[in-house]
Amino acid sequence: MELADPFEMTQPAVSRHLKVLEDAGLIARRVDGAKRPRRLDTAGIKAIEQWLAVMHKALAKNYDRLDDVLADLKRTTSRGERP
Amino acid sequence: MSEMVLTTEGDRYVVVTRRFAASPELLYRAHTEPALIQKWLLGPDGWTMPVCISEVRRGGPIRYEWKDGKGGGFYLTGEYLELVPFSKIVHIERMHLPEPTPDNHVETRFETDNGGTLMTMRMTLPNAKTRAAMLATGMEHGMEASYARLEKML
Repeated sequence: MELADPFEMTQPAVSRHLKVLEDAGLIARRVDGAKRPRRLDTAGIKAIEQWLAVMHKALAKNYDRLDDVLADLKRTTSRGERP
Repeated sequence: MSEMVLTTEGDRYVVVTRRFAASPELLYRAHTEPALIQKWLLGPDGWTMPVCISEVRRGGPIRYEWKDGKGGGFYLTGEYLELVPFSKIVHIERMHLPEPTPDNHVETRFETDNGGTLMTMRMTLPNAKTRAAMLATGMEHGMEASYARLEKML
């Protein structure tokens, strides 16, 4: 409820936004009676950075290999063949 | 060789751009013909793709199976949603780790650029559970392999 106060949004709408952030691992929620206090999940934020770094590495490697595949294709198609 | 750029767009998407010294037609073929896909879409060193299904039509199935050469591996299934030769491929895919991850919506565009091609790929940023599953499977081995290579260099 307190998190919804500053926004011109209904409380259920704010809850949906919070759910997105929670699923993304950016905030964490605990139960305190009827309250559901949230906090920033710094481990989750670090995990995203780690995932992006791993993804960057894997994709960059793929595309470096693709450069070679394209170079081969260029050679074979210029000779009128298909590999 | 060209610098790849990977950025996030809002909190929902990952966008990757890279230039290639080949025509959009060759890029399109390399992204859709199984015999070509199997040569480069492999991730970390040592991985292979023994099975590659890619039926290039709207609704056509996609299936990639990877092996890490050490008894491990995983597969991906998906479907083509839209194909515009040689400029645009839209497909969905899910990894089986072994539980299927939520559908990832991927849009890949090829534009002529200075005699080559600018590729822009936009995909869904996976949720925390999916990211953790991805890191726990193949890609973590990739990091290990990279660290091992780094150690050799140092």
